[in-house]
Amino acid sequence: MAEAVGPGDPTRPLTVVLVGNPNTGKSTLFTALAGIPTRIGNYPGVTVEEKVGRFVHRRRAVDLVDLPGTYSLAAQSPDEAVAVDVLRGRMPGVAPPDCVVVVADATNLSRNLFLASQALELGLPTVVALSLVDVAAERGITVDASALARRLGCPVVPVVAPTGSGIATLRDEILAAPAGPRPPAPDLAAHLAAIDAARPAPARQAIARYAWIDDVVAEAVTRSRPARRPLADTIDGVLTHRVWGTLVFALVMLALFASIFRLAAPLMDLLSAGVDSVAVGVGGLLPPGALRSLFVDGVLAGVGGVVVFVPQIALLFLFIALLEGCGYLSRAAFLMDRLLVGAGLSGKSFIPLLSSFACAIPGIMATRTIENRRDRLLTILVAPLMSCSARLPVYLLLCGAFVPDVAVGFSWLRLPALVLVALYALGVAVAAAVAGVLSRTLFRGPPQPFVMELPGWRWPQAAVVLERVREAAWSFLKNAGTLILAMSIVIWALGSYPKPVLPDGPELSAAERQGEALRQSFLRARALGAEGEEHHDRQGDVDPAEEEGATMLVRRLKAATWDGTDRKVFSLSVALSIMVFFALCAQCASTLVIIGKETGSWVWPVVTFAYMTVLAWLGAFAVYQLGTALGW
Amino acid sequence: MTRIFTVRSLEQVGVGQTAAVADVPGADPISLRLLEMGLTPGIEVAVVGAAPLGDPVELEVRGYRLSIRRREAALVTVAS
Repeated sequence: MAEAVGPGDPTRPLTVVLVGNPNTGKSTLFTALAGIPTRIGNYPGVTVEEKVGRFVHRRRAVDLVDLPGTYSLAAQSPDEAVAVDVLRGRMPGVAPPDCVVVVADATNLSRNLFLASQALELGLPTVVALSLVDVAAERGITVDASALARRLGCPVVPVVAPTGSGIATLRDEILAAPAGPRPPAPDLAAHLAAIDAARPAPARQAIARYAWIDDVVAEAVTRSRPARRPLADTIDGVLTHRVWGTLVFALVMLALFASIFRLAAPLMDLLSAGVDSVAVGVGGLLPPGALRSLFVDGVLAGVGGVVVFVPQIALLFLFIALLEGCGYLSRAAFLMDRLLVGAGLSGKSFIPLLSSFACAIPGIMATRTIENRRDRLLTILVAPLMSCSARLPVYLLLCGAFVPDVAVGFSWLRLPALVLVALYALGVAVAAAVAGVLSRTLFRGPPQPFVMELPGWRWPQAAVVLERVREAAWSFLKNAGTLILAMSIVIWALGSYPKPVLPDGPELSAAERQGEALRQSFLRARALGAEGEEHHDRQGDVDPAEEEGATMLVRRLKAATWDGTDRKVFSLSVALSIMVFFALCAQCASTLVIIGKETGSWVWPVVTFAYMTVLAWLGAFAVYQLGTALGW
Repeated sequence: MTRIFTVRSLEQVGVGQTAAVADVPGADPISLRLLEMGLTPGIEVAVVGAAPLGDPVELEVRGYRLSIRRREAALVTVAS
């Protein structure tokens, strides 16, 4: 092959843009070409992911820009608008492309050529990477690459990205393309002439384009009966079966939930124990005083508060990447869509909301799989209403202590269990109501499409899956983690300076005294929470001593009286209203941080905190008043 | 050409049945998206399934599977 040199300065890296439909093996191809991305972020002003990787081929550096998967360049969605801006060289921070690589799925060429034909109209040097040719062959689909290249007027390289087959040729073509001839725009004139001229231009374009594509496909694609039914099709048959498919779905979702709810716990304990032992070790080395306090109570407490979320995030994204890789993520959205439409959401909100029952932080991060901006924002806003695992110990403690253990209807149906279920249901119902109201008021707009491809079964690619997990964990640590850590240090500083004065001293102002009273009550609440947590952690054990410890806490709660009186602090009404408050209130600062990071705006955490706090107060107030009126 | 009184929409095509797309006549963004996804005049489309709650439906068109809501299927007219 001749020495390939792009236009202009040969030491300048070539900018190559990768476009393609979703589910075409585009991520796998990106990894095969460029390995781990060198830059991941958002394009300025939009929450569309920017992913850039660099590789060097024949001593020429190439910056590979991975655009979000799109079906069209009609700029109907934010993803498409970004794709068009990058391709036209109008995106700030991205050099105008020297070459476009269009990924076209060989199993589904007709629909993939729609985007390819639009890309050809840009008049940029273009190379078509024909992906999944191995899967197509199993199904009896053969694509004649040279016939296709002749019709498109640009090089067509068949690739099997997971094995690396065709990658070297593709790199050669990428390097050669900028100096080669520009591809002609597809000739749609004859097809356009056959369509009613009164119709809107985009519709005429789309119909004419497919007419042109049908000609190309007739020439380049041959179909034969496959020798045997491919395994993927057999798996598909089970997954889409009315009974088996629903059963598999339930099992998969159960496994997903159990892994982040249960499997993550020992890992989280391990990380916390690790941070604690570092704290003890370092604390012993440093002299007592401000520095030690800063390091142990500020920095290390903050680090502990950050890393503890990583196992759940990593496990959830492992699941999501596996489901996405085998094409099941869309099917999950398909199965659950109807359930969420009434609340103004779509099926794609299901996994993020389900995950939020374990913890809202990975749940909110999982909304990255929702392409529709409006649906994504709505899902983020209501995700913290799902009762997370941090609320469970409070529920268990208060239900156990104050809800009478009586049967309701059946001997096995106990009132405390019913209250527990009701608290979870309350979160779901309020979330549905909030999303329903918001989607009809603040987020009102034209109906959102739910036109979604259901990809067939394929095996997930380890490299792509691991990259997804790494990227999720890293972006959490880098973006949200640093902020949570900074907050922890600020809180430490606020708590440590100025040095506390003795309470009840004559020099205390009224405001200070009030502040002190508030602080005391928060300390009490915190101690209660810690004891509750401990109680929860140990409830599985049967050690009688610990059993007694938990009962002790319950007994103390039951015996608690208001200072100076013999009036009980906790009645059933009080316990219920506290639990309702916990169920509805946004009490987790890390969740608010992640909302800010994922929406790219500080408006939304403020909105979330405000509406949840108002609802929590109203709910607690209503329950208390109702309970008191009923004499509970 | 289809006779005027036999025009039906894809929403009325039952699970397991096949029909040919007549047109997606709307000028709204969802109709355009349906055309872009390959539901163009003359193409064969099979309704291969529905979600457990009846909506959305699963189509097979141009050799791939597509999920659309019933409301969206109503935008597609089919020849009998």
